[in-house]
Amino acid sequence: MKIKFKIITPEREIFSEEAEQITMMTRDGEITILPGHIPLITVLQPGELRYKKDGEEKFLAISGGFAEMRPDNTLIILADTAEYAEHIDIERAEAARERAEKAMKEARNVEGIDYAALQAQLERAVNRVKIAKKYRKLPPMVNR
Amino acid sequence: MGVNTKAIKRRIKSVGNTKKITKAMEMISAVKMRKAVANVLATRGYANLAWAMLVDVAKKTNAALHPILTKRPIKKVAVIFITSNRGLSGGFTSRLLQETNDYIIEEKKKTGTETDIILLGKRGRKIFSYFKHPIAAEFEKIDITTKMEEILPMARMIIAEYMNGKYDKVAVAYTDFVSAIKQIPRVKQILPLEKEDELLGKIGEEKEEKKYNFEFKFEPKPAEVLSMLLPRLVEMQIYQTILESDASEHSARMMAMRNASDAAEDMIKELNYNFNKARQAGITQEISEIVGGVAALG
Repeated sequence: MKIKFKIITPEREIFSEEAEQITMMTRDGEITILPGHIPLITVLQPGELRYKKDGEEKFLAISGGFAEMRPDNTLIILADTAEYAEHIDIERAEAARERAEKAMKEARNVEGIDYAALQAQLERAVNRVKIAKKYRKLPPMVNR
Repeated sequence: MGVNTKAIKRRIKSVGNTKKITKAMEMISAVKMRKAVANVLATRGYANLAWAMLVDVAKKTNAALHPILTKRPIKKVAVIFITSNRGLSGGFTSRLLQETNDYIIEEKKKTGTETDIILLGKRGRKIFSYFKHPIAAEFEKIDITTKMEEILPMARMIIAEYMNGKYDKVAVAYTDFVSAIKQIPRVKQILPLEKEDELLGKIGEEKEEKKYNFEFKFEPKPAEVLSMLLPRLVEMQIYQTILESDASEHSARMMAMRNASDAAEDMIKELNYNFNKARQAGITQEISEIVGGVAALG
């Protein structure tokens, strides 16, 4: 049995197929969904999402969102953004992280700035860099 | 050449000028339409899934867990009325106006109170000037909405007022974008959450009967998940209806302007024909006058 699995963001549909297992980062920590999981709704943290399809594992960077496991063995992920690790441009991700860090530092001295939003932004940027780097270090995707 | 040809010539010129303007507006609308349509199509899948999730949660969750889920006897209704800032878009505003008016009258019969209208887009003011429905609030509408942040103040206000009991029912009046030539005015209820049949844009999500007996497990705690999930998903719905309206508006305007340009073109053709006829008649008349004069002299 496989899980019908869909990741969708406000920009586009990232993935819609069947997968054997999906692991994602929730507020309470990492969970893995296997076929036949009970109906579940959870909130995703910025972090890594990986799924296995035909024995092959894929990595994505997710910047938060929601996941719904339906009783008919369908997992739907409404992500704010989602990117395959191999599609992340490390240099640009680094640059974005530096920008976010800088904005945070400057925000300390200014009032009336949405600090939480900046922090979330930084968190997302750091996450992207981390996942992109992690993926680069791994050997090519064969039967791992 | 007589006075007649001069008048016709003037008309040809003026119709030609109008045509230039409508043509230009058509092209501008076409560009805006392309952008708006790309936006709306990109988010539609997400919005429809979010709506499905909302309905799932609302059906299967204890309403006491979050104020958005509460259902009260309906005494006061609010309608978010989404139109455009500008006219010249054919029947775009008037069709929605009609639809909304019907809805409001219907609701008034049921509740006995006047529905509050929250306006988005200047053209919507006609709901007051035509039908005398009072406007409770007006928000600025951006020509092409591209970010959720742009509509958050409005969406948050509505959700807050539903939760604190000011409104017992909230609906959105918008124009659903089906295709460049077809847009359907609609009034969709978003709060309380109950209807599942209304997917935006009517694209075919397969509908299966859900008769499982189950309850969702929430991680972390239900109240915590719901307080993050529900407002966000409702906001998403409002956002999507605005995108639908944007796409519809610009499509409607483009079509209206295209029709106007075509009509101007036809008119110019007709006028040219008349002009040539009048010119020819003038020349013929002149020659016959000369001939007649010579004959008289002879």
